[in-house]
Amino acid sequence: MASRAVQQGFKQVKPILSTNHHEAKRRVLNLYKAWYRQIPYVVKDFDVPISVKMGREKVREMFNKNKHITDIRTIDLLVIKGQMELVETAQIWKQRPHIMKYFEDTVNERPADFLGKFYDGHDP
Amino acid sequence: MLRLWPLRQVVSSAGARFIPACQKSTAPEPAPELVEVFVNDKQVFVEPGTTVLQACAVAGIEIPRFCYHERLSIAGNCRMCLVEVERSAKPIASCAMPVMKGMKVKTDSPVTKKAREGVMEFLLMNHPLDCPICDQGGECDLQDQSMNFGSDKSRFTDIAFTGKRAVEDKNVGPLVKTIMTRCIHCTRCIRFASEVAGVEDLGTTGRGNEMQVGTYVEKMLQSELSGNVIDLCPVGALTSKPYAFTARPWETRKIESIDVMDALGSNIVVSMRTNEVMRVLPRVNEDINEEWISDKTRFAYDGLKRQRLTTPFLKDANGQLMQTDWESAFLAIARKLQGVEGSQMAAVAGGLVDAEALTSLKDLMNRLGCETLCTEEIFPMDGSGTDFRSNYLMNTTIAGVEEADVVLFIGTNPRFEAPVFNARVRKSWIHNDLKVAMIGAPVDLTYEYEHLGETVDVIEKLAGGNHPFCKVLESAKRPMVVMGSSCLQRSDGSALHFMVSTLANRVKAASGADAEWRVLNVLHRVASQVAALDLGYSAGVSGVREAKPQMLFLLGADEGAITRSDLADGAFVVYQGHHGDQGAQMADVILPGAAYTEKDATYVNTEGRAQLTRQAVTPPGMARNDWKVLRALSELLGVTLPYDKLQEVRQRMAEISPTLVRVGEIEEANFFKQAIEATKAGKTSLGKEPLVPPQQVLKDFYMTDSITRASPTMAKCVQAATEAESSVH
Repeated sequence: MASRAVQQGFKQVKPILSTNHHEAKRRVLNLYKAWYRQIPYVVKDFDVPISVKMGREKVREMFNKNKHITDIRTIDLLVIKGQMELVETAQIWKQRPHIMKYFEDTVNERPADFLGKFYDGHDP
Repeated sequence: MLRLWPLRQVVSSAGARFIPACQKSTAPEPAPELVEVFVNDKQVFVEPGTTVLQACAVAGIEIPRFCYHERLSIAGNCRMCLVEVERSAKPIASCAMPVMKGMKVKTDSPVTKKAREGVMEFLLMNHPLDCPICDQGGECDLQDQSMNFGSDKSRFTDIAFTGKRAVEDKNVGPLVKTIMTRCIHCTRCIRFASEVAGVEDLGTTGRGNEMQVGTYVEKMLQSELSGNVIDLCPVGALTSKPYAFTARPWETRKIESIDVMDALGSNIVVSMRTNEVMRVLPRVNEDINEEWISDKTRFAYDGLKRQRLTTPFLKDANGQLMQTDWESAFLAIARKLQGVEGSQMAAVAGGLVDAEALTSLKDLMNRLGCETLCTEEIFPMDGSGTDFRSNYLMNTTIAGVEEADVVLFIGTNPRFEAPVFNARVRKSWIHNDLKVAMIGAPVDLTYEYEHLGETVDVIEKLAGGNHPFCKVLESAKRPMVVMGSSCLQRSDGSALHFMVSTLANRVKAASGADAEWRVLNVLHRVASQVAALDLGYSAGVSGVREAKPQMLFLLGADEGAITRSDLADGAFVVYQGHHGDQGAQMADVILPGAAYTEKDATYVNTEGRAQLTRQAVTPPGMARNDWKVLRALSELLGVTLPYDKLQEVRQRMAEISPTLVRVGEIEEANFFKQAIEATKAGKTSLGKEPLVPPQQVLKDFYMTDSITRASPTMAKCVQAATEAESSVH
């Protein structure tokens, strides 16, 4: 039993969506375009304090974060997840904080020392 | 009556411990002197002389009422408290009827209900339906009781279209707004004015439907306690003028706090909405203010919105104060302090500063090597000075005046320096036959007193035992000597204090007062003084004048005790406080602090009772809590104070004096004898000038500190009081 399972592991894996690299790339680009077109509506619908340009840059950044991935199955899975995110965003199933969560890295860290908190004006 | 119950229980249980079991009776034993009353068939025992209404309260049933008030005399004219009593032909007014043996009271019988409905109907017949525009809406007794006890329909039909009774509104000054059409003639305001406040300004004219409450002639209600009639009024006839049309009670958050306008520490409730203090109301504390507060306490809150320091300021090269940020202000101070010796520094604390800030300032200055820390308010420091707490406290306590039989005021006008205390003296004067005497300028205290003279030699005579009044003091069982801190501001203050302590000790020894009774009392004027003296500040700025410091730190010091000429040339002055007043005017750097409604802080009142204010609103702009400013500054000066949290500051305060953190309690101060022995070497001699308290008439009362000076309402009061002086009435 065990040896057969190992043998199967070496076999050709079953594709998720794409059969070759070219197809996977098309899916990624399509998703990117869909996000790119959706951004103005996101900014408007959610009334978030970001510009369309910032939103698009953020989309690009999110795609670039995974650009080193070459495994087709992984790419497909990420595309599916990206699509789910897009649907949740476009249908406004998300709320403002979910959108702002993408920009979490721009939030300044709150000071922890007494003087920093004093200058900031919140209670130590 | 109710108050005696726990005591009785304590006594009976303590006695029971020594009774052998065989002698115990199994039958319930009502104390023989108590009267048995049945309230809705529930048996209660009350003292004879108790009213039916109070007996019902003992049974846990509250009778609706308008005219009855615990702290006022009984009028019995609103008829709302009618209840049925068995074998009585008519319903009786329960607030005025004393209980009788075996009385059977029925508080929810059909007769009682019908009586209440009838009374409500009569009251509403002539009461306007203006609840939507009435300031009492939401806290109106008439509104509530008409919902609870009134009829569900109206029989009021104005067939002739004659309209309801209408009464002209009266102008009784800038604090109380009157809409007399709403008045239901409960006469609570009249009774308050004549009994508690001691001004006979209010009264009624006319009878029956024509009855009107008013001041007879148009005049200001000339009392320092006039605002309390607003709380007493069960309807919207008397409302607050400054608060008119600003907020509804259900919109506001209520924060329990402490007042700092005088040294009594009256308990207050601060109503807050949208980060603004909407109004200040009294909170019951039987030991301090009962349920009254002075007009300054109640109406000075609009001063918290004016003249505020909202950013740090720094003097630029042209000598102009310019707005800046905290960091540059701190750095400017740090730069200036480089090379300044600790002995070249001094600090002065004003009258509104809390104990946390005082602790931080003292720790900070001591770390810099400075020992010259003063309060603006002077108190004698030679001899035993402030070493003994008994020297500077109101040792008898505020409530203690109710047990006293003779009070001697020296150089004070308690009516304006501590209005609520004065109301309590008046209460004792009425109910306990308290004898009051006074040395100092003759002022109107609202009750009669024996005026012994204006000059200090009267005290000398009294202390020496050759004054006719000595007999009265000696025959007293519980005498009190109350010295105003205002009279200690004179150059002969320490001699005066010594003389009064001698007098107090002599009176204590000569009279029949028991060992626990304390005679000497000091009535302070400012809220911070006792805490400052507890923390080891030296009272009075003479130390600063001698030192001629290079650097001066003013912590809320706004009375102008120190001027530039008292300092070295080109001295550097830092002011920290909440109002742009005298202190800020002479400063090189201004650090904005928080007022008493904006911080959790400790204040110690003139009895030595520590109490906490609670933060109601946030400090405006960049202003910060005062101890935090000092803590932050200490870090930039390289002498970081070892506390980051409020609890840690309080721990530090407890290290210095545990009384500062025992909130609400009084630690008794003793050592009167030792204090006077240590003072034997008094150097200064008594002056010849008469003892004149600074606040003599009503117009002097309203503006005494930086908050009240910034308050438009207080300014209007001063104006009205000044006009009232010249009025023919």
